Amino acid sequence: MKYQKIFILATLLTLCVCFFLAGCGKKKEQAAEVLNYRLKWLFNISVAGDLYADDQGIFESHGLSVAVKSGGPERDAIKELEIGRAQFGVASADQVVRAIDKGAPIVVIAQLFQVNPLQWIFRQNNLAIDSPEDLKNKTIGITYGGNDETIMRALLNKQGSLADKVKLFSVRYDYSPFFTGEVDLWPVYRNAEGIVMAEKLHRQGEAAGFFNPDAFGVRFVANSVITTRRMISEHPETVQKFLEALLQGWQEALDPRNAKQTIDMVSRYDKETSRQIIAKQLDSTRNLMLPPAGKSFGWIDVASWTETERIMLDQKLISSPVGIEKNLQQITFDSSQ
Amino acid sequence: MLHKRIWQFLLIYILGLGFLFGLKYLLGLSDYVIPGPMEIYQTARYNSGRYLVDTANTLSVAFVGHLLAILLASLISIIGRLPNLAGAMIKTAAYNLQAYPIVAVAPIIFILLGDGLTSRLLIAAMICYFPLLLSFIGILTTPVPDIEHFYITTKRMRWQLEVKIRAFENITKLTTVIAGSATLAMVGTIIAEFIGADAGIGYSLRISLYQSDIGKVLVALFFIGIFNSLYLATLEGVGYFIQKKLGISREG
Repeated sequence: MKYQKIFILATLLTLCVCFFLAGCGKKKEQAAEVLNYRLKWLFNISVAGDLYADDQGIFESHGLSVAVKSGGPERDAIKELEIGRAQFGVASADQVVRAIDKGAPIVVIAQLFQVNPLQWIFRQNNLAIDSPEDLKNKTIGITYGGNDETIMRALLNKQGSLADKVKLFSVRYDYSPFFTGEVDLWPVYRNAEGIVMAEKLHRQGEAAGFFNPDAFGVRFVANSVITTRRMISEHPETVQKFLEALLQGWQEALDPRNAKQTIDMVSRYDKETSRQIIAKQLDSTRNLMLPPAGKSFGWIDVASWTETERIMLDQKLISSPVGIEKNLQQITFDSSQ
Repeated sequence: MLHKRIWQFLLIYILGLGFLFGLKYLLGLSDYVIPGPMEIYQTARYNSGRYLVDTANTLSVAFVGHLLAILLASLISIIGRLPNLAGAMIKTAAYNLQAYPIVAVAPIIFILLGDGLTSRLLIAAMICYFPLLLSFIGILTTPVPDIEHFYITTKRMRWQLEVKIRAFENITKLTTVIAGSATLAMVGTIIAEFIGADAGIGYSLRISLYQSDIGKVLVALFFIGIFNSLYLATLEGVGYFIQKKLGISREG
């Protein structure tokens, strides 16, 4: 009887310890009035500014408590916004257009990438790809169902009969078809794995080139910051403060004067990537994110959004026009503040 | 048996859909989060043919993978039942192999074997073989003293005979575990297709998720459930037939 009681107590104690340990990582979420910010992808260079705003206390200095949460292939910020698990998020333009097509009450409040980082890497020693015509008879990697498929199809359709003259290859985890030469062009995020793959080629004595559909008129928007209509109407000040802090974080993270600080910070979160690679990724990210002259950081390029919607409509990825421009809300700040 | 399995699945599927619709209308969620009945109907109308072929493709791979797993588990448990070093080594290796999560091992398999049929078969077999192995080892290592005693004392006991006696005496358990692991074979194949293959319903599911299209996911789940029920009912029927042939009552 005595042993039975000890056993029950020990079991209960073990359960308590397990629940405590399991809950440890969620301490921050449980604090009162924490704003959840769901990113699009895992912590790497593409979220440097989001992490910087958190890491350097920029959110706090704006009077906000923000939990920056990593994304991933199975995370969808839009769904979390609708369900109420997050107040802000990052989503790609195709996700946004699809969601609006299905009635999701979301609004884009800032555009992070001004040039889509989704590009195609190729070996410059073997290939010269200066125009879409040079893609003729090449094997091009695409992720079926992914936005790289949409972008490449838009480019091929734009070139008339080019679609019949290229071979498409289904891309998955394994990069070896590219490194063995089976595939000529491989889709990469120019500022992230693009740098890593270019470095690999460089070590083999080869130079990497990048084919950028944006340069040939396919303007397909990448990641943007989103929130809900309700959030904007009920908490406009919070939205204003959040965006101001976030964009400040991004600007400071990309500022060459803060490069060391940004690289140190990203290294802490992304332990798999060396500092030298992160430094190169940072330069590349800066080039893709800085807005055109006269525009402020986070500028929403309405024409590119309209083009994105048109491409998706042409490819029947949405059933009817969604009027994307009605869901873009450029928030301006008083610079004197 | 077949119609019972189908009805059971349909009931669960309809209840699941009802729960999702309830949630959708209660929380006022858009079709992006949970599609409405009309959207699901339209999706089913346009995609059913393709998904039917995809799920049949997955089931065929799951079937072969399941057979492989049964063979592998039988082989390992026959050797693993031996109370010597070889038996202990085989058991340890088999258990350790299972300790690695398949999602971590799968990309390596795809790199080595490509994204074709072999990888899908291997992953399906790897996922469903472990429960089979545990049961097979349990059955084949447990003596049946009443029968085995006679053969041992008359010095006529051979390993083949030992395996046969123990398998025959536990035929109900064996058929139940084989039928039960069929679901795992199907799940294993879908995981393999989801991770790296370029065919089957798992691959279609992955594309639907890329496109955040929950309607397509729900339609795909419907076909997976129907095919799974068919496979399960077939195996149960075969098990019942074998037991009947051997003159074993359903209660064992």
